[in-house]
Amino acid sequence: MERLSEPFGSFIDRSQTVSFRFEGEQVSGYRGDTIASALLANGITTMSRSFKYHRPRGVLSMCGHDSNTMVRVGQKPNALADCVAIEAGLEVQAQNYWGSLESDRLAMIGHVSRFLPVGFYYKAFYKPRWAWPLWAKLIRRVAGLGTVDLATPHGYYDKKYLFAEVTVIGAGPAGMAAALEAAKAGAKVLLVDENAKIGGALGYARFDGAGEHGGKIRVDLVAEIADEKNIRVMTDTMCTGWYSDNWLPLIKDNRLYKLRAGSLVVATGCYEQPLIFHNNDLPGIMLGSAAQRLIRLYGVKPGKRAVVATANRDGYGVALDLLDAGAEVACVVDVRSNPPEDEMSMALMHRHVPVLVGSTLREAVAAPGGAGVREVRIADIESAERAARRYDSFSCDIIAMSGSYAPAASLLHQAGGRVSLHNSGGGFSVHDLPTHIAAAGSVAGTQSLDYVLAEGKDAGRQAARDAGFKVATASEPRPAEPEAFAWPIIGHTKGKDFVDFDEDLQTKDIENALTEGYQHIQLLKRFTTNGMGPSQGRHSTLPAIRLAARRTGASLDETGSTTSRPPIGPLTMGHLAGRSFEPVRYTAMHFRHLERGAKMMPAGAWMRPEYYGDARNKLESIAAEARNVRENVGIIDVSTLGGLEIRGPDAAEFLNRMYTFAYLKQPVGRSRYVLMTDESGVIVDDGVACRIHDDHFYVTATTSGVDGVYRTMLWHNTQWRLKVDITHVSASYAGVNIAGPKSREVVDKLCDDVDLSSEEFPYMGVRHGHVAGIPALFLRVGFVGELGYELHVPASQGEALWDALMKAGAAAGIRPFGVEAQRLLRLEKGHIIISQDTDGLTTPHEADMAWAISRKKPYYVGMRSVSIQEASGLTRKLVGFEISDSEITQPKECHLVIRGNTITGRVTSVVRSPTLGKVIGLAYVAPDQAEPGSKIGIKVDGGEMVQAKVVKLPFYDPDGERQEM
Amino acid sequence: MTLEPTEHARRSFLYRELESAGASFEELNGSAIAVDYGDKKGELAQAQKLGICDLSTLRRTGFKGWNMANWLATQGAIMAEENNVTSHQAAGTRIARLSPGEALVLGDYHGGGALIEKLDSAWSMENADGCYQVPRAETNFWLALTGTYTPALFTKICAVDLCEQATPANSVVQTNVARLNAIIIRGGTTEVPVFDLLSDIASAVYLWHALLDAMDEFGGKPVGLKALQDLI
Repeated sequence: MERLSEPFGSFIDRSQTVSFRFEGEQVSGYRGDTIASALLANGITTMSRSFKYHRPRGVLSMCGHDSNTMVRVGQKPNALADCVAIEAGLEVQAQNYWGSLESDRLAMIGHVSRFLPVGFYYKAFYKPRWAWPLWAKLIRRVAGLGTVDLATPHGYYDKKYLFAEVTVIGAGPAGMAAALEAAKAGAKVLLVDENAKIGGALGYARFDGAGEHGGKIRVDLVAEIADEKNIRVMTDTMCTGWYSDNWLPLIKDNRLYKLRAGSLVVATGCYEQPLIFHNNDLPGIMLGSAAQRLIRLYGVKPGKRAVVATANRDGYGVALDLLDAGAEVACVVDVRSNPPEDEMSMALMHRHVPVLVGSTLREAVAAPGGAGVREVRIADIESAERAARRYDSFSCDIIAMSGSYAPAASLLHQAGGRVSLHNSGGGFSVHDLPTHIAAAGSVAGTQSLDYVLAEGKDAGRQAARDAGFKVATASEPRPAEPEAFAWPIIGHTKGKDFVDFDEDLQTKDIENALTEGYQHIQLLKRFTTNGMGPSQGRHSTLPAIRLAARRTGASLDETGSTTSRPPIGPLTMGHLAGRSFEPVRYTAMHFRHLERGAKMMPAGAWMRPEYYGDARNKLESIAAEARNVRENVGIIDVSTLGGLEIRGPDAAEFLNRMYTFAYLKQPVGRSRYVLMTDESGVIVDDGVACRIHDDHFYVTATTSGVDGVYRTMLWHNTQWRLKVDITHVSASYAGVNIAGPKSREVVDKLCDDVDLSSEEFPYMGVRHGHVAGIPALFLRVGFVGELGYELHVPASQGEALWDALMKAGAAAGIRPFGVEAQRLLRLEKGHIIISQDTDGLTTPHEADMAWAISRKKPYYVGMRSVSIQEASGLTRKLVGFEISDSEITQPKECHLVIRGNTITGRVTSVVRSPTLGKVIGLAYVAPDQAEPGSKIGIKVDGGEMVQAKVVKLPFYDPDGERQEM
Repeated sequence: MTLEPTEHARRSFLYRELESAGASFEELNGSAIAVDYGDKKGELAQAQKLGICDLSTLRRTGFKGWNMANWLATQGAIMAEENNVTSHQAAGTRIARLSPGEALVLGDYHGGGALIEKLDSAWSMENADGCYQVPRAETNFWLALTGTYTPALFTKICAVDLCEQATPANSVVQTNVARLNAIIIRGGTTEVPVFDLLSDIASAVYLWHALLDAMDEFGGKPVGLKALQDLI
């Protein structure tokens, strides 16, 4: 492991050696190393194979901005080796090869690349049609990224909210200056950076001849930030997008932070661009900033002999850093024909490094084995599209490229900002930012350090002002900066001059797509897949824009850019799935049901007992529960039913408007059925209204419908302004329905303040009293068709009520029954269930509920529609049917009623009644099939047609003697 | 000797969770309440750091309607003019104004609540006059979340910033906690805040476990009523 001595290697702790394995071989690094820096320190330059041509790839950006270093870490595919810190025992594998990383058999694809142009699979494999799945399988196998290990254990991911008055994304010089300025104004500032330490380019780039200026500024700013109580710093944190009102998702470790930023400063910097030449993807060819990061952050010398190619002054800094690190710099190639002299160019001259101006790289020559560089060929630039045929060769093992810059402006784009690319000079500027967002530093096109710092301060002040703090006005306007040279894109006849490293796209691929007519930048992206890989066009979008503009003659600004959408960087499914919240509601008796062996089922957010007993004997259990209600006494938990208190002088008038029946004259102490329709006359809910007081009704609603009913009531009364208060009390009361011929006997044992006799407490009566000392509302109802009482008690005492009733009913043979038995019993009684026997179009007349409509009142919600429907006649009707033949295949819910070739309806409820000994059900049929005695055909499983007879409802106890006893 | 929560008809929806966490129960206001978990000294320190305490069986009530404020005033209750502010009454009772027409009345952490008794017994449909009782003791379960880590805990489950700067003492926040509607009231001190949290009684078990899961990162644990009383 070879390292440069300090001060190089500011990120690593040389006192702690860390060992891990790469491709099965042990590798050592230092605490603070990334996988990539440790591998390079050990002379390992190839880290993966490319997507399409399986070319060896090494470090390009050294900061996770490209896909060259994607590796598998443990069971996690597609980890970025230049970002992931090493840990003891880490198992790292290269990706996307067949054979070995050094000798990938699929690398032969590169030799036939001329037969695999962009979009080849669109054109080659669509005929014959049956063959595509085979091709797709093969293509997926030879192309692609890492593979998912389906045995990966579940990880713990969660989410957290964050709040900040001012948020600064990017802790480079501009971001740090902005954060400090906003904090000094009094704002609570969150400073976010994707790197392990703050400082940005100040930590690795060279800003002066001596190479000390940036480092000194960084030390001062970092110390100032550490002392500033108003600033919270989050490193190793990626902001993956911008959403309305400065809502920002941040990813750190296994957590997704949901940040609400009062005002936002985007100081995300820019992406250094590679040059485009033959073999520009070989390991050893990297961005100038990558070489500097290796030297200054990790103490790794990138190579022994370097060639630096540049389009701006930064390349001179790279060359000086390489010299300081002990590398030989063969030459600096400056694409500018007349670069200005400055401190850095003079320093380079004093160190006797030749500078070739007006030149560019034509091609790199691969080292034996193809996994490195041995030579680079340099030619004079003749025009923006052409270089001289004659070239000079320089031997080297590293090429550092400092091309132009592309702004890291995704957040600004997503916020509605616009980036203008300047046609001359290679610069850019930001416009049209919404309020509460500022851009500072190189993302806004500012390059010189002094300007960047000043702009950061301005942005910080603006952000603090936006957040409501008083701050001084912005600084004086600064003169314009000189712009970088627009670097040439000169294609190579041998190709392999990559524009997009993710997708192995060469210059000719882009040009061919343009020739085929894909000249709009969005079409060009989609046809070529340029910018659609993991690095999301950080290095490929700008050259594609330039190539398109060159072909069409449009300006760069007119050519435009592709749309930037979240997520900006990679995030896992775990981050999105995270720790999710799925609320579940339990009744007071929930655990008593579990203790009795109940099989629970969801009912909206509630859990209800479906039946009690073993799943293998489900039907028998349900039948036994139902039989016990008919013969003895059963008890069902009805706490999930909706409950609404309607109180006030206008309570009766309010109900009269909300429901179809009449309530003005309903006596106190009586309940009445309620049926609710919407404005289109469709049934939406039902229940009962209990008149507790002249001005007070307690109204029940369906379990899943009550929230909607409550909202509808509030909505209407906001307009009607009746003197009525509506309170949602569904969870406030536990409820049981104790039903069966012995129910009175059981309740009577526990109640001494309500006369339960049928004379004093008749069917549909309502009383207040106590059961086992618990205050209760008694309702005499008959949903299951037997003598029964619904008892509603305070929720906190529901379990005690249940316990008391079970104990008191033991001698009478009480047993609980579940939802399935209740459905059976109510079907025998012919009662419908809203949303099972009705659908989104069912009207009262269709459901045979006309009896629940008052014709004597002036209005109820849906009245006009119901009247029109009645006048128009029915198109279907809900009827009861029975099948006496015990040998037939029993119909199921939603089986179709068919007459000839016409579907006339469907089954909504069906069951084999143990009480009646036959199959009974409800179904929609054509109006002319609705008469009792009519025959209907039902198509059952397997396509068989089963004949059923329409019968009058109810099936059981038609005179209601049992429920009214 | 600890009390069995089922000895009383009125039971917290959480009593099984408290039992399995090792709670000891005592009788208060005719129902069992978890007073400690066996480490009385340690529980105070736990409450100062991050604790969760079930108060579901303590006294509370509510009133709503267009004439709510006037009716409460006639009963001698003091209430803030602004919404989402808590007003302290005599003997530790608090009234949280939820809206122009709705108020939540909380008894103290010792089981007291003379004002609540007075209000509940004074109210009837005959004299309601636009103010209607809300069964808050049955609609909501009630927790106290205590300690220095509570604002950090809430950032994992609630989208509202509950740091003191954004939510000062006596503020009421009506929001969503782990996807449940909830009322949160900030009390305690700057150093050791105490948040009352009231939410859907039927979802008590769900939220209890969601909170424990979120608290685990900060070492949060259940604490008994005695630790809460000592803390305040």
